[in-house]
Amino acid sequence: MNNKAKEILLKKRYRAEKRFRFFGISSIILALSFLCILLVNIFTNGLSAFSRTEILLKVNFNEKKIGININSTDKEIKQANFDEILQEALLNLAPNVPELKQAELIDLVSIDATIELKKFYLKNKDVLNKTSEVALTLSDDIDQVHKGNFPRDIPEDRRRFSDFQLKIYDEQIAKKKIISEFNWPFLFNADSREPEIAGVGASLMGSFFTLIVCLLLSFPLGILAAIYLEEFAPKNKITEIIEVNVNNLAAVPSIVFGLLGLGVFLNYFYLPRSTPLVGGLVLALMTLPRIIIPCRAALKAVPPSIREGALALGASKVQTVMHNVVPLAMPGTLSGTIIGLSQALGETAPLLLIGMVAFINVVPSTPFDPSAVLPVQVYLWSESAERGFVEKTSATIIILIFFLAFMNSFAIYLRNKFEKRWS
Amino acid sequence: MVNEKIKISTRNLNVYYGIKQALFDINLDLFEKKVTALIGPSGCGKSTFIRCLNRMNDVIDICKVEGSIKVDGEEINGKEIDVNVVRERIGMVFQKPNPFPKSIYDNIAYGPRIHGLANNQDDLDRIVENSLKKAALWEEVKDRLNQPGTGLSGGQQQRLCIARAISINPEVILMDEPCSALDPIATAKIEELIDELKKSYTIVIVTHSMSQAARVSQNTGFFHLGKLLEFNLTEKIFKNPDNKMTQDYITGRFG
Repeated sequence: MNNKAKEILLKKRYRAEKRFRFFGISSIILALSFLCILLVNIFTNGLSAFSRTEILLKVNFNEKKIGININSTDKEIKQANFDEILQEALLNLAPNVPELKQAELIDLVSIDATIELKKFYLKNKDVLNKTSEVALTLSDDIDQVHKGNFPRDIPEDRRRFSDFQLKIYDEQIAKKKIISEFNWPFLFNADSREPEIAGVGASLMGSFFTLIVCLLLSFPLGILAAIYLEEFAPKNKITEIIEVNVNNLAAVPSIVFGLLGLGVFLNYFYLPRSTPLVGGLVLALMTLPRIIIPCRAALKAVPPSIREGALALGASKVQTVMHNVVPLAMPGTLSGTIIGLSQALGETAPLLLIGMVAFINVVPSTPFDPSAVLPVQVYLWSESAERGFVEKTSATIIILIFFLAFMNSFAIYLRNKFEKRWS
Repeated sequence: MVNEKIKISTRNLNVYYGIKQALFDINLDLFEKKVTALIGPSGCGKSTFIRCLNRMNDVIDICKVEGSIKVDGEEINGKEIDVNVVRERIGMVFQKPNPFPKSIYDNIAYGPRIHGLANNQDDLDRIVENSLKKAALWEEVKDRLNQPGTGLSGGQQQRLCIARAISINPEVILMDEPCSALDPIATAKIEELIDELKKSYTIVIVTHSMSQAARVSQNTGFFHLGKLLEFNLTEKIFKNPDNKMTQDYITGRFG
């Protein structure tokens, strides 16, 4: 080959390299931009759910109207009816309106406002027979108006709020009586039909319990199965079949595990429906192969010389594996486990089948209480018509993403920590 | 040679990997507190042979060992023999240094711990110190016993592995090409060490280096194609071998 031909070949090789780099970089840019679009969309929709709108309302705590007195016990107060003083306070916003408009005034605040009033009184009993300013949650519609999610310039009959309500709202804004606060109840409340008081508390706890059950079951089972299959099991037809099936299980659609859970855990063992216990069991089945496979890969990657070294010292097989091989396989195993668990965290389909799609309005306190989980909550709210649930859907996704990001960074942390120790 | 005590003797030792026979009727006597070098071209069965002596071939599923291996007149080859006990008596050092992913201290303390050789922490400290001293590593690592053994240099790692092997006070130390991954200076240190260790241990060393065999061993066996062609005093083998093949090999005509 002469120099000319060589030069041409060289240029061709460089061109190919450049082309390859271009394709690589552009695919990364494309993927990143999709991710950005997704995140921007979710965050613009969802961030407003983290604030709530309240009205500072002057309420007169008249003991006759409430039907209590200074000596009433907490129990009596809880049973008392605060509706009348609330209505009175609301009607005072616009005195002398026709009866027809009064209902619109009352609709300004959330259905839960009377409960909030009660809670306020229980904390501040000295306001009895006095007038005090109380912050009460506004109804979903006004909340959305305040956040600018509802256009105000469309005809009245196509809006969910009337011109009259809007007028009162503007008056109160001018008086600086409408305030925005961080939406703590969103994080702690259970689900509700009313968007302004619905929260992810129940599904957060549900997800937490479900993952705990899943972890407690799948981690020891998965690791022991992997260690046995990789280190101890004889290599024959049976173990080969098991191996193939473990790999197949990892690819089984998750809804099939839901059906299994429905058929076995609910209909055969009569475990309580809709509970994190059953959810955790089902997700553990799904997670098992996802732990076994990385754990086996990590064990396989441990150099045989380590095993030989221990065996040559007279260590038994179990000692060799437990003292020397497993610690080396730990980083890979742990990060595999956490990735498996974060997949379980985002799983919806199998949980629908075991009834975790139920409407849960109490925060569960044990894994045996009915509860929802975060992804199912997203699914439930995404079907709701109220504008308030749209932002809550996105906000729940934000929480889920944070949960996942946290778990994955924990996996990376664990891996680095264990790897650093010996290198 | 006649007056020396035989530590290990093999009779009609045959080894098969599946259907392939790797060793043919090996009859070999290893003498107590001597260094025996095994030489021969690659794939001749030297490593397979010494792996029989502490039953390391058991690890390989398809490997079958037939024949008799006696240590101090006691049979060690057989299903009913506890391999862990055999390996406690017969230690091994491998071709590539393979320290455990633990601290230097724990690398040495591991054997004594699993065999219950130390009654208390002081005992264990003493064993670790003595083992490292015997392996001529103590001075280099005494200030960093808690650092990982994998952080040492190659030669130091190999001496660590030797220290690990002698920590459980074996009777025999098998060395499978212990210097093949080391530079000449580290090799010289290991050879010095072997010279020192033969005062207390019976040593079998597999080596590809003729000069190493000549330097460190008293007896040498020459393996070829799974057969032991010649076994004699090292001096005799290197000066005046009986077998033509041995002659050819040590003079570098093949291998």
